[in-house]
Amino acid sequence: MALLTKAETPPPPPRRRRLVYRLRVLRHDPTAALGLILVILLAYLVVAPLIAVLSDAFRLQYGDDVHAGQQPGEWTGYYLWRVFRSQISGLLFWEPLLNTLVIAVGTTLFALFLGGGMAWLVTRTNVPGRKWLAGALVVPYMLPSWTFSLAWLSLFKNERAAGQVGFLQAQGIRTPDWLAYGAVPIIITLGLHYYPFVLLLVGNALRRIDAQLEDSARILGAPQRTVIRRIVVPLMLPALSSAVLLVVGRVLGTFGTPYVLGLPADYRVLSTGLFQSIRDRSTGVASVLATVIVIIGVLIVLVDTRMMREHRRFVTVGGKGAMDRLGDLRRWRWPAFALGVVVFVVSVLVPVLTLLVSTVTRTPLDLSTFTLDYWFAEKLPGAVGFPHGVFRGSELWEAAWNSLRIVGLASLICAVAGLLVGYVVVRGTAPRVAAFLRQVSFLPYLIPGIAFAAASLSLFAVARGPIPALYGTTFLLILVMAVTHLPYSSRSGIAAMMQLGREPEEAAQIAGASWWQRMRRIIFPIQKGALVTGIVLPFISGLKELSIVIMLTTTGTQLLTTLSIGLVDYGYTQLANAVVLMIALVSFTMTYLTQRLTKSSLASGLGG
Amino acid sequence: MPNITLSGIAKSYGGGDYAVKNLDLTVPDGAFMCLLGPSGCGKTTTLRMIAGLEQPTGGTIAVGDRVLDSVEQGLYVPPEKRGMGLVFQNYALWPHLSVRENVEFGLRMRKVPAPERRAKAELALQMVHVDAAMDRYPSQLSGGQQQRVALARMLAINPTVLLLDEPLSNLDARLRLEMRAELKRIHEESKATIVFVTHDQLEALTMATDVAVMNEGELQQLAPPMEMYARPANRFVAEFVGSPPMAIVEIGSTPTGLAGSLMRFVESRAGQDIAPAAVGIRPEALRLGSPPHSVWSEEATVEAVLPAGSSWTVRLRVLDTELYALSYTPVEAAAGEVLTCWTDQVHLFGADGMRIPAWDRTGVGA
Repeated sequence: MALLTKAETPPPPPRRRRLVYRLRVLRHDPTAALGLILVILLAYLVVAPLIAVLSDAFRLQYGDDVHAGQQPGEWTGYYLWRVFRSQISGLLFWEPLLNTLVIAVGTTLFALFLGGGMAWLVTRTNVPGRKWLAGALVVPYMLPSWTFSLAWLSLFKNERAAGQVGFLQAQGIRTPDWLAYGAVPIIITLGLHYYPFVLLLVGNALRRIDAQLEDSARILGAPQRTVIRRIVVPLMLPALSSAVLLVVGRVLGTFGTPYVLGLPADYRVLSTGLFQSIRDRSTGVASVLATVIVIIGVLIVLVDTRMMREHRRFVTVGGKGAMDRLGDLRRWRWPAFALGVVVFVVSVLVPVLTLLVSTVTRTPLDLSTFTLDYWFAEKLPGAVGFPHGVFRGSELWEAAWNSLRIVGLASLICAVAGLLVGYVVVRGTAPRVAAFLRQVSFLPYLIPGIAFAAASLSLFAVARGPIPALYGTTFLLILVMAVTHLPYSSRSGIAAMMQLGREPEEAAQIAGASWWQRMRRIIFPIQKGALVTGIVLPFISGLKELSIVIMLTTTGTQLLTTLSIGLVDYGYTQLANAVVLMIALVSFTMTYLTQRLTKSSLASGLGG
Repeated sequence: MPNITLSGIAKSYGGGDYAVKNLDLTVPDGAFMCLLGPSGCGKTTTLRMIAGLEQPTGGTIAVGDRVLDSVEQGLYVPPEKRGMGLVFQNYALWPHLSVRENVEFGLRMRKVPAPERRAKAELALQMVHVDAAMDRYPSQLSGGQQQRVALARMLAINPTVLLLDEPLSNLDARLRLEMRAELKRIHEESKATIVFVTHDQLEALTMATDVAVMNEGELQQLAPPMEMYARPANRFVAEFVGSPPMAIVEIGSTPTGLAGSLMRFVESRAGQDIAPAAVGIRPEALRLGSPPHSVWSEEATVEAVLPAGSSWTVRLRVLDTELYALSYTPVEAAAGEVLTCWTDQVHLFGADGMRIPAWDRTGVGA
């Protein structure tokens, strides 16, 4: 019978032969070419901007040669010195850094306190209307973050900055500066925006804790208080630390709120400092600031993943019948409900109603001065830059169309790219290509958007090689927006492709389908759902996006968000509020519908 | 129709580890060939290389005169042009297409006109008895039905080579039995050459016309199933095929206990010429009761009796060794009882682990 003695390891065929064979195989397998294209694109769009901004930070820019005593283009430590050690370093860096820290810590504590408390209320107690509260308390996260700051101004603004004063001031009550501008309002408004974030993360974790773990402790004789202290809180630590770090990361990159509430009082944070340096064309300083923000952002996420890994040991996933029993609040049930309602009213109703009412009154919130002029009037006396109601004239419609077009295109690119990254990662035969795509497509997640936009400016502001200068073009805006949302879409693309596996495609291949037919008839139809969520979630988040676009738009291409900030700059409070309301309305409706239709939870879109 | 020939096939995933080492294998036309081996032995890799889903790092794969892969000549035919059928372990039905569309897909790719496509798809579904579920979607089918649809999808294009990657492993025991008979029938009806991968020796023995046992990327033995069972070519095959597995008694330099007893028997038959390193006894060859003349026999202490309805497995202590005996007649013995066990069928293996053919010629081998 056919029978082999120990087979020798075969001598590999000559290298050149193998190469010929490999090339033949590659010709029939576009995955390799696709992988290569994606690697080049990602290297160019993600890695190159970071290198460019780093090099700008260390290279003398034109116009600074007199101060620094060096030739433009030479390597220099001038900007480092200027930012960290010079006489204006306090103004440029240390003060904004301190302010950023104060706001980050304050916002985090505020959000943690509010979000954690509400999470406990809606997951672990028998508070009336739990389901409704759980949904309603997430709404603030669906609104653009600086909605709250505009509402705040409508209430508390004093005459220090230009434009209409706030409600209190109009009533003759002089609001102190610390209440109108600066750290306090920023912390409160950002906290109101970010507490749902904590609520979702902590709520999910609370829901996952296995009731049996607590029961065991109680059976062993631990009183309720000890159970919470020794069992529940330690189990919650990963979710809590993750929530803290993510909120800190967000606050670091947030632009709208500190811009609206901080700048009138010269209260600068790193993100607004970066924006101003760019606007003042101090590229070198801006590059250093952007680099610092990038580094802090990366550190935060690294610490987060490290902590998550350390805590994973004792995370109990999906304990059965996890939290079916709820703590009985007894006579505190209705007070607790009232508390939840108060939080909802303060974080959703008050800001939205304030904005709404402010747009229909000449004197803030004074209903006797009711008018629809700010929405519909053909002529608004006094408003030079925007002399009519928001629905009149072309500005709003143009901005809306730009938003739709640019954000829509960016989301489409982002979703398709995410799916293709997933395809190459799962399907590809080169592990190093897969690892590169996986990591680099996730890289923008570590980097606050405003810093990434600054980095992209460094690369694309001037013509480099065959690539013309792209500053001010919608093309650049679309690219940067797509790239910053890529982490989410590539993650979900990889997950979707992993789940699908390679067999369905291989089955089609065996059945005789060419690569194009496989993509068209098998892969994309199966991934239709993933593709739609991959478009919609970045779209919603992009619609509210301010920090990226504020760096990249010029007057030629206004988006809804930049239009509203522009109106704030002019001091046209009512008009700005009206535009923000429009954004809030669209993004809320879309989020709500998406959740309803796709049954996807907002929590999964938090990365976007 | 042609043979499938693999010559000098090697596959390594970078580095020095070979999933398949220098494999030579010919699948005769019309055969039902089974690749059998433990997980990680390279059998699925081999199958996927035949399908073209993976590429060998060396060697040639051909069907008849048509070379599909040749690293040496730089020839490669992509899977979609090989015209083979492959049924995946998890079926890989397309969830967004109905059963009918799944089955019609291959015909559509071959640009078969619609009426003919329809007829062929229906025929294929009838062949596997799921024509009633034609307009449903895969998620609405049971595992067994999905398996049949996966099969019908491949049968519809009437391939001359049909490859099956552990297609029965996800089915429950009853369905598996049914599908075994079904596959055998389909093999006869379709006249296709079938290559079948499994780690389940029972599937291999019951269905295949030829079994190729693989281990660590090497072919261990290629033989019709019954012959393989009767005369395993080496210790690996001997231990892998058969359940409960064959007992292997190491002989050593100065055999004592059971080894010594068996050696005295071997020497009484074959003299000093044969020097086995190990002696194998299949459980069903180990009998209980009074031995006939000139066989090997020893006293055995019963340790446990495990009845299983139609058979009885008995754990025995024979001298210094535990042995299992498989009986198809009731064994009524209590633990601790002392019986006589005997056999006239033992397998001898040399120091290199290979079967000693000289022993088989004495007529005492299996």
